[in-house]
Amino acid sequence: MKIAVIGKGGSGKTTVAGVLARCLARAGREVVALDCDANPNLGISLGVGLDMTEQLAGIRQSLEDGGVEHAPTPEELLSRFGAPAPDGVRLAVVTKIDQPNPG
Amino acid sequence: MGAAPAALKVAFVDKGGAGKSALAGTVCRQLARRGHRVLALDVDTMPGLAVSLGMPPEGARLPAGLAERVEGKGWQVVKGARPAQLVDRYAAWAADGVRVLELGKLPGQVEPSVTVAFRHVMERFRRPGWTLVADLAAGTRQAMFGWAHFARIIVVVADPSAKSALTTRRLLPVATHLVANKVGCASDLEAITAAVPLQLLGAIPYDEALAEAERRGLAPIDFAPDSPAMIATEELVSRLIREAS
Ligand SMILES: Nc1ncnc2c1ncn2[C@@H]1O[C@H](COP(=O)(O)OP(=O)(O)OP(=O)(O)O)[C@@H](O)[C@H]1O
Ligand SMILES: Nc1ncnc2c1ncn2[C@@H]1O[C@H](COP(=O)(O)OP(=O)(O)O)[C@@H](O)[C@H]1O
Ligand SMILES: [Mg+2]
Ligand SMILES: [Mg+2]
Repeated sequence: MKIAVIGKGGSGKTTVAGVLARCLARAGREVVALDCDANPNLGISLGVGLDMTEQLAGIRQSLEDGGVEHAPTPEELLSRFGAPAPDGVRLAVVTKIDQPNPG
Repeated sequence: MGAAPAALKVAFVDKGGAGKSALAGTVCRQLARRGHRVLALDVDTMPGLAVSLGMPPEGARLPAGLAERVEGKGWQVVKGARPAQLVDRYAAWAADGVRVLELGKLPGQVEPSVTVAFRHVMERFRRPGWTLVADLAAGTRQAMFGWAHFARIIVVVADPSAKSALTTRRLLPVATHLVANKVGCASDLEAITAAVPLQLLGAIPYDEALAEAERRGLAPIDFAPDSPAMIATEELVSRLIREAS
């Protein structure tokens, strides 16, 4: 089962996605939560905390910067830049965040 | 006669949902009531400034074709497309005489020639006595791509949430000032100012009147002009004016 949560900014996408992921995991499903926001913060709604959320975005960014070689399979990618979240959910940031210093 | 006062140019950025549009719209109206000529720019590709300004949600946009691709030079604004004339011709009128221009919705309305012309207006509009207020898209992307550079004052709007703290931290390289919004208690304000090492220009209380205005699709300043949040934004406007001079 694949679920995408979309909507207006501030309307609760991330909150709903986080709760969905945790509820499905509690119901016994294996859940991978993907943060596709250029400004990723799903980690906070899932409950992994501010620091881990920021770290995950950083790992994703370093991949883009060539700091880490691209892994060939989705499983390897997940194990590389995914993180365990409560209830057994696995979280990965899949969008590139932008360089802090333009120009 | 002294030198003309420096133009007030302000950009609002935030996480999304922290209150950029509500505050930017109110600031525009209050500046206009104080006698400023105001150009309000909705740069958000999910536009919402019009409602906060108190006008119909279909905003005024620049037409396509004001910029073209030139061999070897990339996109260029066409000859004769002067920012002041584009504003006169295409910007809508909001209450209190505020002029409003909207970049356009994604997907579909924002084609390259419109984007290029809009950015040209933002960066080159220099009419004495005018104030520019821009409401950027939520998050970090637009700000990181220079869409706030036209402004001397780049306000990051932060609410007391952890998500807002995270985004605000990511916006630190571009932001110049902080406005704390949806402040419920003293510890909210402390949490925001502790997380953000920028000069605080205003602390706007959490105000149910703003939420109600939003439900009705009305500008806060029209729905509840004397509410605590509107009084706090008056103070913000005074600080913005002082900061620009
Ligand atoms: N049902 C709800 N009741 C009360 N508050 C809510 C509800 N759903 C979401 N919120 C709050 O609304 C705010 C925005 O939620 P969230 O971050 O999930 O939005 P989003 O759609 O992901 O926004 P963005 O587009 O900025 O990523 C958060 O402070 C969240 O706690
Ligand atoms: N000080 C405040 N008190 C209560 N609600 C507020 C306040 N500021 C903004 N809001 C509400 O928060 C929501 C998001 O505000 P909005 O200005 O649309 O945010 P943004 O433009 O940053 O996405 C709206 O429903 C708005 O009415
Ligand atoms: Mg979100
Ligand atoms: Mg908005």
